[in-house]
Amino acid sequence: MTLHGYAGRYLRVDLTTGHIKTVELDPVLARTYLGGNGFGTRLLWDEVGPEVDPLSPGNLLVLATGPLSGTTWPGSGRLEVIAKSPLSGAYGDSNSGGFFGPELKYAGFDMVVFQGRSPRPVYLYIEDGHAELRDASTLWGKGTYETEALIRQELGDPDIKTCTIGPAGENLVRFACINVSYMRSAGRAGMGAVMGSKLLKAVAVRGFGGVTLADPGRFWELTMAAHQRIRQNFLYPMVRQYGSAGLTALVNMTGRFPTKNFQLGAFDEHPKIGGEALEKYVVKHLACFACPVACDKAVRLDEGEFRGTLTSSLEYEAVGSLGGGIGNSHLESIVRGNRLCDDLGMDIISAGRTISFLMELGQRGIIPPDFADGLDLSWGNYHTMLALLEKTALRQGVGNLLAEGVRRMALEIGPESEPYAMHVKGQEIACQDGRGQQSMGLAHVTSTRGADHLKAYPTIDETGFPSPAVARYGEQYMPELIDPHAVRHKPMIVKDGEDFSAVVDASGHCKIGGTFVIAEIDWEDEAGALQAATGWNITADELKAAGERIYNLQRCYNVLHGLGRAQDTLPRRMLTEPNPSGTGRGRVVELETMLDEYYVLRGWDLKTGVPTRARLLQLGLEDAAERLKL
Amino acid sequence: MKFLAIDSDKCNGCRLCELACSLRAAGTMQPARSRISVLKWEERLLNLPFTCFQCERALCAEVCPVNAIARDGATGALVVSKERCLGCGMCTQACPFGTIALDRPLGQASKCDLCGGEPRCVTICPTGAITYAPGGRTGLDRRRAGAGKLASLLQLVEGGGPQ
Repeated sequence: MTLHGYAGRYLRVDLTTGHIKTVELDPVLARTYLGGNGFGTRLLWDEVGPEVDPLSPGNLLVLATGPLSGTTWPGSGRLEVIAKSPLSGAYGDSNSGGFFGPELKYAGFDMVVFQGRSPRPVYLYIEDGHAELRDASTLWGKGTYETEALIRQELGDPDIKTCTIGPAGENLVRFACINVSYMRSAGRAGMGAVMGSKLLKAVAVRGFGGVTLADPGRFWELTMAAHQRIRQNFLYPMVRQYGSAGLTALVNMTGRFPTKNFQLGAFDEHPKIGGEALEKYVVKHLACFACPVACDKAVRLDEGEFRGTLTSSLEYEAVGSLGGGIGNSHLESIVRGNRLCDDLGMDIISAGRTISFLMELGQRGIIPPDFADGLDLSWGNYHTMLALLEKTALRQGVGNLLAEGVRRMALEIGPESEPYAMHVKGQEIACQDGRGQQSMGLAHVTSTRGADHLKAYPTIDETGFPSPAVARYGEQYMPELIDPHAVRHKPMIVKDGEDFSAVVDASGHCKIGGTFVIAEIDWEDEAGALQAATGWNITADELKAAGERIYNLQRCYNVLHGLGRAQDTLPRRMLTEPNPSGTGRGRVVELETMLDEYYVLRGWDLKTGVPTRARLLQLGLEDAAERLKL
Repeated sequence: MKFLAIDSDKCNGCRLCELACSLRAAGTMQPARSRISVLKWEERLLNLPFTCFQCERALCAEVCPVNAIARDGATGALVVSKERCLGCGMCTQACPFGTIALDRPLGQASKCDLCGGEPRCVTICPTGAITYAPGGRTGLDRRRAGAGKLASLLQLVEGGGPQ
């Protein structure tokens, strides 16, 4: 029977033996976990126990799509990557735009599951139902751009899509990323290091098949309606014009722009590095697959110190991490740093945070002046920033320490440094200051992959516009819902956001173009699209349960790794040092109040933060309850 | 008569046109069976949506041994007859642009038929890179765009070159 919306098969690749197997997709697994992070979570739960080191052959690396991947549903080009994270030592995933995900489905596979470790560098080539491991010894050591180009050249097809790692992944930098065709990344949680640990340099794919739909006519109507709403959304022109970097001014005004390693919530010089400033370097708007927005901008420097630099996906997070985060107002160096991070294959958020951590330790005299191989650690020294990025990727000198991420850096440097290591569960905090937006403070903590803004993605009170808030949640939560400083109702939107995110990441589409930023697709729309694609009579309620199931299993996986309420916390600064900036001035994250309410909503034990047996049974997770002895 | 006018500068490379086309032509989401393709030179940031030009002198129709390709009176599109096409592929050899192809699952030639006058690639294109416009106007628009470049050059010359 055709499983509409899905390719219906996936690949299992044992890199130790070189054995490749095609597996039929279980329709029950599909309906219960949808795809993407749902499939990945289940695989980690079933196969990667707490005894497995993330960088050992026992870890899995899963590249997964969902039932809406490769369709006209807005932004259906996403690829989800799942593995145990070398940063948190527990659940990890990362999501990328681009064109790889759809191509994988067209080649006949919903996902690829890697296990083991290859005896020599290899890459996997997949084409129309076939897959083969190929020698990558000449590619080893090369940057991601060159690797992609060489693979296309070797196979003689410019339309091949790749996932590649750079030197950072090869050198097991704990926040190494995977670069995805073209110029996109699965940035967070160190997925590139897991790939490097398996000596897997790249995955290349070409497919000429298609995705069948249960009701093509209905699907077309629903997608066109969604596209029209997105194009009419009030944020659409801004996001198209500036991309996420356009947020910089607003985030500064509200005191949520982490500056000098979160010592400040606003950067005086932000107009020099925000979306409007960046615009003069923009040479092309680039869309990911099936995206009506094209938030991605290709940026090129035609003169100056870094002349000839071309990069894209220069997001708000780049402006924050390599800009305000380190007190740097030199925009061209941020462009250069963005290109370097992509080419070396490193998450720009974590990379920037390791540098800002070092600079704050220098400022406070916790490390000696010559600590960083003689590099000057003054705020805003962009030459130091660029040098540290290269040293980190190559693990040279002090870079060998930075490559471990801030949590391990603090362990090495000493306890007096620890309060300035800005992370949750080992993953560095991105460019949002929870003290200026309470929901974000909670979101950083409850994210299943360590500090992260994209799991709950609370955009409703970030922008504070009433109409989208009322449209999604109703009048009864107003006005606190859109007040970033109110804690009331915030656990509710964090939980709802996490569940919806789990479904969107499992279905295979984007959180900017359609669901969270330009928020025109809600639970009902998602259920409608999945009905038309798969033919299931799936309701919004069933979908909510699926999101909750995926999120709870991720939580259970973390519990299995010793994480609970004690680890659901923030760096001391966020809880005790009032934010000095913008409209967020004078506030700290009121975490414990929100956390209690969040646990109640989740049906988790208040003291331990462990899901209750009752809630797990409701979600069909009996096996998780048994394994955790609940 | 209207034509598909393509402006590659506006194309973001999202490939929604390919999906919309394949859904109508083949009933699946399948770029490989789309009659329009977004050709990409990624390193040069160039995206070019490419499809049948509906040539005045159509070699595909001329070489067809069973006269399966004929011009639609209403739209001006060259349309492949499902009843007549043998799937021999001679048209694909004759076309200088590769915009008519054999659809393998169908076993017949497949090319843009302008969706009978409501092209779906135009409906779904979010940037206006593909428009469906009267021939006279599309030609004039292109001349105006070209002339604009000349005009700015002339201004430079008259102003004594770049300052």
